[in-house]
Amino acid sequence: MNTFFLKVISSDKVFYEGKCQNLILPIEDGQFSVLAHHENMVVAVENGELHLKTPEGEWITAAVSQGFAEIINNRVSVLVNSAERPEEIDVKRAEEARQRAQERLRHKQSIQEYYLSQASLARAMTRLKTSKDKNWNI
Amino acid sequence: MANARELKERMASIQETKKITNAMYLISSSKMKQAKKKLADTEPFFYAMQAEITRILRHVPDMHSHFFDRRERIPAEDRKIGCIVITADKGLAGAYNHNVLKMAEELIRQPGKHKMFVLGEVGRHYFSKREDELDSEFKYTVQDPNLYRARVIAAKMVELFEAGEVDDVYIIYTRMINALQAETQKIKLLPLQRINFASDKMAAMAGVYREAVTLYPSAHKVMDSIVPNYLIGIIYGCLVESYCSEQNSRMQAMQNATDSATDMLNELNITYNRVRQADITQELTEVIGGANAQKRK
Repeated sequence: MNTFFLKVISSDKVFYEGKCQNLILPIEDGQFSVLAHHENMVVAVENGELHLKTPEGEWITAAVSQGFAEIINNRVSVLVNSAERPEEIDVKRAEEARQRAQERLRHKQSIQEYYLSQASLARAMTRLKTSKDKNWNI
Repeated sequence: MANARELKERMASIQETKKITNAMYLISSSKMKQAKKKLADTEPFFYAMQAEITRILRHVPDMHSHFFDRRERIPAEDRKIGCIVITADKGLAGAYNHNVLKMAEELIRQPGKHKMFVLGEVGRHYFSKREDELDSEFKYTVQDPNLYRARVIAAKMVELFEAGEVDDVYIIYTRMINALQAETQKIKLLPLQRINFASDKMAAMAGVYREAVTLYPSAHKVMDSIVPNYLIGIIYGCLVESYCSEQNSRMQAMQNATDSATDMLNELNITYNRVRQADITQELTEVIGGANAQKRK
Protein backbone atom coordinates (compact mmCIF):
# COMPACT_ATOMS: atom_id res chain seq x y z
CA MET A 1 0.00 0.00 0.00
CA ASN A 2 1.12 3.52 -0.74
CA THR A 3 2.40 5.54 2.11
CA PHE A 4 3.07 9.19 2.78
CA PHE A 5 5.27 11.02 5.23
CA LEU A 6 3.51 12.16 8.36
CA LYS A 7 4.59 14.37 11.21
CA VAL A 8 2.29 14.98 14.15
CA ILE A 9 3.66 17.69 16.40
CA SER A 10 2.04 18.81 19.61
CA SER A 11 3.19 21.73 21.70
CA ASP A 12 5.13 19.53 24.10
CA LYS A 13 6.46 16.77 21.90
CA VAL A 14 6.75 15.28 18.46
CA PHE A 15 3.96 12.75 18.64
CA TYR A 16 4.62 10.82 15.45
CA GLU A 17 7.17 11.09 12.71
CA GLY A 18 7.40 8.63 9.89
CA LYS A 19 5.54 6.85 7.15
CA CYS A 20 1.81 6.39 7.31
CA GLN A 21 -0.82 4.62 5.22
CA ASN A 22 -3.94 6.32 6.33
CA LEU A 23 -4.63 9.29 8.54
CA ILE A 24 -8.02 10.19 9.95
CA LEU A 25 -8.47 13.66 11.37
CA PRO A 26 -11.34 15.07 13.38
CA ILE A 27 -12.73 18.18 11.68
CA GLU A 28 -15.70 20.43 12.14
CA ASP A 29 -18.22 18.34 10.18
CA GLY A 30 -16.98 14.86 10.92
CA GLN A 31 -13.85 13.01 10.04
CA PHE A 32 -11.35 13.59 7.30
CA SER A 33 -9.24 10.81 5.89
CA VAL A 34 -5.93 11.31 4.14
CA LEU A 35 -4.40 8.66 1.92
CA ALA A 36 -1.18 8.81 -0.07
CA HIS A 37 -0.99 11.40 -2.85
CA HIS A 38 -3.78 13.48 -1.47
CA GLU A 39 -4.60 16.85 -2.97
CA ASN A 40 -2.64 19.74 -1.47
CA MET A 41 -4.72 21.06 1.32
CA VAL A 42 -4.81 22.86 4.62
CA VAL A 43 -7.41 21.56 7.01
CA ALA A 44 -8.59 22.96 10.30
CA VAL A 45 -8.48 20.23 12.93
CA GLU A 46 -10.96 20.20 15.78
CA ASN A 47 -10.90 18.58 19.21
CA GLY A 48 -11.33 14.87 18.73
CA GLU A 49 -9.73 11.58 17.96
CA LEU A 50 -6.96 11.20 15.45
CA HIS A 51 -6.23 7.80 13.97
CA LEU A 52 -3.26 6.82 11.90
CA LYS A 53 -2.27 3.58 10.28
CA THR A 54 1.40 2.77 10.32
CA PRO A 55 3.06 1.00 7.33
CA GLU A 56 2.87 -2.20 9.38
CA GLY A 57 -0.88 -1.85 9.42
CA GLU A 58 -1.17 -0.95 13.06
CA TRP A 59 -3.59 1.74 14.13
CA ILE A 60 -2.51 4.46 16.52
CA THR A 61 -5.13 6.57 18.22
CA ALA A 62 -4.66 9.94 19.86
CA ALA A 63 -6.82 12.53 21.51
CA VAL A 64 -5.95 15.83 19.86
CA SER A 65 -6.99 19.39 20.50
CA GLN A 66 -7.45 22.15 17.98
CA GLY A 67 -4.89 22.81 15.33
CA PHE A 68 -4.40 22.31 11.65
CA ALA A 69 -3.06 19.84 9.16
CA GLU A 70 -1.17 20.70 6.06
CA ILE A 71 -0.93 18.35 3.11
CA ILE A 72 1.67 19.35 0.54
CA ASN A 73 3.50 17.11 -1.91
CA ASN A 74 2.53 13.89 -0.20
CA ARG A 75 3.88 15.18 3.09
CA VAL A 76 1.49 15.81 5.92
CA SER A 77 2.19 17.93 8.98
CA VAL A 78 -0.34 17.98 11.75
CA LEU A 79 0.18 20.74 14.29
CA VAL A 80 -2.04 20.51 17.32
CA ASN A 81 -1.83 21.95 20.79
CA SER A 82 -1.92 18.57 22.42
CA ALA A 83 -1.84 14.94 21.32
CA GLU A 84 -2.14 12.06 23.76
CA ARG A 85 -2.22 8.30 23.46
CA PRO A 86 -5.22 6.66 25.14
CA GLU A 87 -2.96 5.08 27.75
CA GLU A 88 -1.41 8.44 28.56
CA ILE A 89 -4.71 10.03 29.40
CA ASP A 90 -5.35 10.64 33.04
CA VAL A 91 -9.00 9.63 33.26
CA LYS A 92 -9.46 11.09 36.70
CA ARG A 93 -8.09 14.44 35.64
CA ALA A 94 -10.18 14.48 32.48
CA GLU A 95 -13.27 13.62 34.51
CA GLU A 96 -12.52 16.43 36.93
CA ALA A 97 -11.96 18.83 34.05
CA ARG A 98 -15.29 17.82 32.56
CA GLN A 99 -17.11 18.42 35.82
CA ARG A 100 -15.36 21.74 36.32
CA ALA A 101 -16.25 22.86 32.81
CA GLN A 102 -19.87 21.80 33.19
CA GLU A 103 -20.10 23.62 36.46
CA ARG A 104 -18.66 26.74 34.94
CA LEU A 105 -21.09 26.55 32.05
CA ARG A 106 -23.96 26.73 34.54
CA HIS A 107 -22.80 30.06 35.86
CA LYS A 108 -23.51 33.28 34.15
CA GLN A 109 -20.38 34.37 32.38
CA SER A 110 -19.08 36.49 29.56
CA ILE A 111 -19.12 35.16 26.03
CA GLN A 112 -15.38 34.70 26.08
CA GLU A 113 -15.50 32.73 29.30
CA TYR A 114 -18.36 30.70 27.90
CA TYR A 115 -16.33 29.73 24.86
CA LEU A 116 -13.33 28.86 26.98
CA SER A 117 -15.42 26.62 29.24
CA GLN A 118 -17.06 25.05 26.25
CA ALA A 119 -13.70 24.35 24.65
CA SER A 120 -12.32 22.81 27.81
CA LEU A 121 -15.46 20.68 28.09
CA ALA A 122 -14.92 19.47 24.54
CA ARG A 123 -11.30 18.63 25.32
CA ALA A 124 -12.24 16.72 28.43
CA MET A 125 -14.97 14.79 26.61
CA THR A 126 -12.57 13.84 23.83
CA ARG A 127 -10.02 12.60 26.33
CA LEU A 128 -12.60 10.52 28.13
CA LYS A 129 -13.93 9.08 24.91
CA THR A 130 -10.47 8.23 23.58
CA SER A 131 -9.42 6.62 26.82
CA LYS A 132 -12.50 4.37 26.78
CA ASP A 133 -12.26 2.75 23.37
CA LYS A 134 -8.66 1.77 23.37
CA ASN A 135 -8.97 -0.85 20.66
CA TRP A 136 -10.09 1.31 17.85
CA ASN A 137 -10.11 -0.39 14.49
CA ILE A 138 -11.82 -0.21 11.17
CA MET B 1 42.31 48.71 60.98
CA ALA B 2 39.16 47.12 62.33
CA ASN B 3 39.60 44.95 65.34
CA ALA B 4 39.51 41.18 65.27
CA ARG B 5 36.05 40.79 66.74
CA GLU B 6 34.43 43.09 64.21
CA LEU B 7 36.11 41.26 61.38
CA LYS B 8 34.93 37.96 62.74
CA GLU B 9 31.34 39.22 62.82
CA ARG B 10 31.54 40.53 59.30
CA MET B 11 32.90 37.25 58.04
CA ALA B 12 30.09 35.37 59.74
CA SER B 13 27.47 37.56 58.08
CA ILE B 14 29.07 37.15 54.65
CA GLN B 15 29.15 33.42 55.23
CA GLU B 16 25.40 33.47 55.91
CA THR B 17 24.67 35.45 52.76
CA LYS B 18 26.85 33.13 50.77
CA LYS B 19 24.84 30.19 52.02
CA ILE B 20 21.65 31.86 50.84
CA THR B 21 22.97 32.78 47.41
CA ASN B 22 24.37 29.31 47.00
CA ALA B 23 21.01 27.77 47.88
CA MET B 24 19.29 30.06 45.38
CA TYR B 25 21.82 29.04 42.79
CA LEU B 26 20.99 25.40 43.38
CA ILE B 27 17.25 26.04 43.27
CA SER B 28 17.39 27.95 40.03
CA SER B 29 19.72 25.45 38.45
CA SER B 30 17.29 22.64 39.18
CA LYS B 31 14.37 24.74 37.91
CA MET B 32 16.48 25.59 34.93
CA LYS B 33 16.91 21.93 34.12
CA GLN B 34 13.15 21.42 34.06
CA ALA B 35 12.63 24.56 32.03
CA LYS B 36 15.26 23.49 29.54
CA LYS B 37 13.54 20.19 29.06
CA LYS B 38 10.26 21.96 28.48
CA LEU B 39 11.95 24.28 26.05
CA ALA B 40 13.49 21.39 24.13
CA ASP B 41 10.07 19.72 24.01
CA THR B 42 8.28 22.75 22.73
CA GLU B 43 10.87 23.98 20.25
CA PRO B 44 9.89 21.67 17.35
CA PHE B 45 6.31 22.87 17.63
CA PHE B 46 7.31 26.50 17.96
CA TYR B 47 9.47 26.49 14.85
CA ALA B 48 7.24 24.18 12.82
CA MET B 49 4.32 26.48 13.53
CA GLN B 50 6.17 29.49 12.16
CA ALA B 51 7.43 27.54 9.16
CA GLU B 52 3.99 26.16 8.36
CA ILE B 53 2.29 29.51 8.60
CA THR B 54 4.90 30.92 6.24
CA ARG B 55 4.26 28.08 3.87
CA ILE B 56 0.52 28.41 3.98
CA LEU B 57 0.74 32.11 3.33
CA ARG B 58 3.06 31.49 0.43
CA HIS B 59 0.70 29.03 -1.12
CA VAL B 60 -2.37 31.07 -0.44
CA PRO B 61 -1.30 34.54 -1.45
CA ASP B 62 -4.61 36.34 -1.64
CA MET B 63 -6.14 35.83 1.67
CA HIS B 64 -8.50 38.26 3.23
CA SER B 65 -8.67 37.58 6.87
CA HIS B 66 -9.38 40.14 9.53
CA PHE B 67 -6.19 38.99 11.21
CA PHE B 68 -4.29 40.64 8.40
CA ASP B 69 -6.20 43.89 8.67
CA ARG B 70 -3.57 46.44 9.49
CA ARG B 71 -6.14 49.19 10.07
CA GLU B 72 -4.05 51.71 8.24
CA ARG B 73 -6.72 54.37 8.39
CA ILE B 74 -6.07 54.87 12.07
CA PRO B 75 -3.34 57.50 12.50
CA ALA B 76 -0.28 56.61 14.54
CA GLU B 77 -1.29 58.77 17.54
CA ASP B 78 -4.68 57.09 17.87
CA ARG B 79 -3.57 53.52 17.47
CA LYS B 80 -4.22 51.40 20.48
CA ILE B 81 -1.17 49.31 21.07
CA GLY B 82 -1.32 46.32 23.36
CA CYS B 83 1.83 44.74 24.60
CA ILE B 84 2.38 41.56 26.54
CA VAL B 85 5.44 41.99 28.72
CA ILE B 86 6.98 38.94 30.33
CA THR B 87 8.99 39.72 33.44
CA ALA B 88 9.93 37.59 36.42
CA ASP B 89 7.99 37.17 39.66
CA LYS B 90 10.97 38.26 41.68
CA GLY B 91 14.22 40.10 41.23
CA LEU B 92 17.75 38.90 41.85
CA ALA B 93 18.11 37.79 38.29
CA GLY B 94 20.77 40.14 37.02
CA ALA B 95 19.70 42.38 34.17
CA TYR B 96 16.83 40.12 33.11
CA ASN B 97 13.95 42.28 34.33
CA HIS B 98 15.74 45.49 33.59
CA ASN B 99 16.23 44.62 29.94
CA VAL B 100 12.60 43.68 29.47
CA LEU B 101 11.34 46.83 31.15
CA LYS B 102 13.74 48.95 29.14
CA MET B 103 12.33 47.58 25.94
CA ALA B 104 8.78 48.12 27.19
CA GLU B 105 9.65 51.74 27.98
CA GLU B 106 11.02 52.20 24.51
CA LEU B 107 7.76 50.95 23.05
CA ILE B 108 5.72 53.27 25.26
CA ARG B 109 7.68 56.26 24.07
CA GLN B 110 6.44 55.68 20.55
CA PRO B 111 3.21 57.41 19.51
CA GLY B 112 -0.08 55.69 20.20
CA LYS B 113 -2.22 54.69 23.13
CA HIS B 114 -0.46 51.95 25.00
CA LYS B 115 -1.87 49.21 27.11
CA MET B 116 0.47 46.91 28.94
CA PHE B 117 -0.41 43.34 29.72
CA VAL B 118 2.24 42.46 32.22
CA LEU B 119 3.12 38.99 33.38
CA GLY B 120 5.21 38.66 36.52
CA GLU B 121 5.25 40.59 39.78
CA VAL B 122 8.31 42.70 39.02
CA GLY B 123 6.82 44.17 35.87
CA ARG B 124 3.45 44.68 37.46
CA HIS B 125 5.03 46.50 40.36
CA TYR B 126 7.04 48.64 37.99
CA PHE B 127 3.95 49.74 36.06
CA SER B 128 1.61 49.82 39.04
CA LYS B 129 1.88 53.57 39.46
CA ARG B 130 0.80 54.19 35.89
CA GLU B 131 -2.69 52.86 35.96
CA ASP B 132 -3.70 54.18 32.57
CA GLU B 133 -1.10 52.01 30.91
CA LEU B 134 -1.38 48.84 32.95
CA ASP B 135 -4.21 46.40 32.48
CA SER B 136 -4.80 45.59 36.12
CA GLU B 137 -7.06 42.62 35.45
CA PHE B 138 -4.35 40.81 33.58
CA LYS B 139 -2.90 38.71 36.36
CA TYR B 140 -0.93 35.64 35.53
CA THR B 141 2.16 34.19 37.04
CA VAL B 142 5.20 33.26 34.98
CA GLN B 143 6.09 30.26 37.10
CA ASP B 144 5.75 26.90 35.37
CA PRO B 145 4.34 28.01 32.04
CA ASN B 146 1.55 25.81 30.78
CA LEU B 147 -0.71 25.64 27.80
CA TYR B 148 -3.79 26.60 29.70
CA ARG B 149 -2.35 29.99 30.57
CA ALA B 150 -1.20 30.54 27.00
CA ARG B 151 -4.68 29.65 25.82
CA VAL B 152 -6.35 32.15 28.13
CA ILE B 153 -3.93 34.91 27.16
CA ALA B 154 -4.30 34.22 23.45
CA ALA B 155 -8.09 34.16 23.73
CA LYS B 156 -8.02 37.51 25.47
CA MET B 157 -5.76 39.05 22.86
CA VAL B 158 -7.85 37.78 19.97
CA GLU B 159 -11.00 39.05 21.63
CA LEU B 160 -9.52 42.50 22.23
CA PHE B 161 -8.21 42.63 18.70
CA GLU B 162 -11.51 41.62 17.16
CA ALA B 163 -13.41 44.09 19.30
CA GLY B 164 -11.10 46.88 18.17
CA GLU B 165 -9.84 47.48 21.69
CA VAL B 166 -6.32 47.10 20.40
CA ASP B 167 -4.99 47.61 16.91
CA ASP B 168 -1.55 46.10 17.34
CA VAL B 169 -0.42 43.40 19.71
CA TYR B 170 3.22 42.93 20.61
CA ILE B 171 4.94 40.57 22.94
CA ILE B 172 8.20 41.31 24.71
CA TYR B 173 10.04 38.26 25.94
CA THR B 174 13.56 37.02 26.48
CA ARG B 175 14.96 34.50 24.10
CA MET B 176 17.67 32.17 25.16
CA ILE B 177 20.44 32.09 22.60
CA ASN B 178 22.66 29.72 24.52
CA ALA B 179 23.46 28.96 28.13
CA LEU B 180 25.35 32.22 28.50
CA GLN B 181 23.40 34.60 26.36
CA ALA B 182 19.83 35.76 26.44
CA GLU B 183 18.30 38.46 24.33
CA THR B 184 15.20 40.52 24.88
CA GLN B 185 12.99 40.47 21.84
CA LYS B 186 9.83 42.06 20.61
CA ILE B 187 7.49 40.22 18.26
CA LYS B 188 4.39 41.58 16.63
CA LEU B 189 1.57 39.11 17.19
CA LEU B 190 -1.35 40.85 15.56
CA PRO B 191 -2.18 41.83 12.88
CA LEU B 192 -0.23 39.14 11.11
CA GLN B 193 2.42 40.54 8.89
CA ARG B 194 3.18 38.84 5.69
CA ILE B 195 6.73 40.20 5.67
CA ASN B 196 7.18 38.72 9.08
CA PHE B 197 6.63 35.24 7.80
CA ALA B 198 8.25 35.60 4.43
CA SER B 199 11.93 35.47 5.09
CA ASP B 200 14.66 36.43 2.60
CA LYS B 201 14.66 32.95 1.19
CA MET B 202 11.05 33.33 0.22
CA ALA B 203 11.69 36.46 -1.80
CA ALA B 204 14.12 34.58 -4.02
CA MET B 205 11.47 32.01 -4.69
CA ALA B 206 8.98 34.56 -5.91
CA GLY B 207 9.27 33.33 -9.49
CA VAL B 208 8.88 29.69 -8.57
CA TYR B 209 5.66 28.00 -9.51
CA ARG B 210 3.30 27.91 -6.61
CA GLU B 211 1.00 25.01 -6.22
CA ALA B 212 -2.53 25.77 -5.31
CA VAL B 213 -3.68 24.67 -1.91
CA THR B 214 -7.26 24.02 -1.05
CA LEU B 215 -8.42 25.24 2.29
CA TYR B 216 -11.00 23.07 3.93
CA PRO B 217 -13.81 23.72 4.97
CA SER B 218 -13.16 27.34 3.89
CA ALA B 219 -10.30 29.81 3.88
CA HIS B 220 -11.92 31.77 6.66
CA LYS B 221 -12.60 28.74 8.75
CA VAL B 222 -9.03 27.58 8.40
CA MET B 223 -7.57 30.98 9.20
CA ASP B 224 -9.91 31.35 12.17
CA SER B 225 -8.67 28.06 13.47
CA ILE B 226 -5.01 28.49 12.62
CA VAL B 227 -4.43 32.02 13.84
CA PRO B 228 -5.61 31.63 17.45
CA ASN B 229 -3.72 28.36 17.59
CA TYR B 230 -0.67 30.01 16.18
CA LEU B 231 -0.98 32.67 18.86
CA ILE B 232 -1.36 30.07 21.59
CA GLY B 233 1.72 28.32 20.28
CA ILE B 234 3.77 31.49 20.07
CA ILE B 235 2.69 32.76 23.48
CA TYR B 236 3.41 29.40 25.06
CA GLY B 237 6.79 29.33 23.38
CA CYS B 238 7.56 32.85 24.62
CA LEU B 239 6.51 31.94 28.16
CA VAL B 240 8.76 28.93 28.17
CA GLU B 241 11.69 30.79 26.63
CA SER B 242 11.34 33.60 29.15
CA TYR B 243 11.04 31.24 32.08
CA CYS B 244 14.14 29.45 30.97
CA SER B 245 16.08 32.70 30.50
CA GLU B 246 14.91 33.93 33.88
CA GLN B 247 16.20 30.86 35.66
CA ASN B 248 19.38 31.05 33.67
CA SER B 249 20.10 34.64 34.52
CA ARG B 250 19.20 34.08 38.15
CA MET B 251 21.56 31.17 38.21
CA GLN B 252 24.32 33.32 36.79
CA ALA B 253 23.59 36.21 39.15
CA MET B 254 23.64 33.90 42.13
CA GLN B 255 26.83 32.26 41.00
CA ASN B 256 28.46 35.69 40.68
CA ALA B 257 27.20 36.61 44.13
CA THR B 258 28.59 33.40 45.60
CA ASP B 259 31.90 33.95 43.85
CA SER B 260 32.30 37.49 45.11
CA ALA B 261 31.31 36.38 48.60
CA THR B 262 34.12 33.85 48.45
CA ASP B 263 36.54 36.56 47.30
CA MET B 264 35.45 38.87 50.10
CA LEU B 265 35.84 36.11 52.64
CA ASN B 266 39.35 35.39 51.43
CA GLU B 267 40.34 39.01 51.68
CA LEU B 268 38.77 39.40 55.09
CA ASN B 269 40.45 36.25 56.26
CA ILE B 270 43.86 37.64 55.34
CA THR B 271 43.08 40.91 57.08
CA TYR B 272 41.83 39.04 60.10
CA ASN B 273 45.00 36.97 60.31
CA ARG B 274 47.10 40.10 60.05
CA VAL B 275 45.15 41.76 62.81
CA ARG B 276 45.44 38.68 64.95
CA GLN B 277 49.16 38.50 64.35
CA ALA B 278 49.56 42.16 65.16
CA ASP B 279 47.64 41.62 68.39
CA ILE B 280 49.83 38.68 69.36
CA THR B 281 53.02 40.54 68.52
CA GLN B 282 51.85 43.46 70.58
CA GLU B 283 51.01 41.25 73.52
CA LEU B 284 54.36 39.50 73.26
CA THR B 285 56.25 42.78 73.22
CA GLU B 286 54.26 43.86 76.23
CA VAL B 287 55.09 40.66 78.10
CA ILE B 288 58.76 40.83 77.17
CA GLY B 289 58.86 44.50 78.01
CA GLY B 290 57.25 43.72 81.38
CA ALA B 291 59.71 40.88 82.06
CA ASN B 292 62.69 43.08 81.20
CA ALA B 293 61.46 45.79 83.48
CA GLN B 294 61.14 43.25 86.31
CA LYS B 295 64.69 41.98 85.66
CA ARG B 296 66.24 45.40 85.85
CA LYS B 297 64.98 45.91 89.38
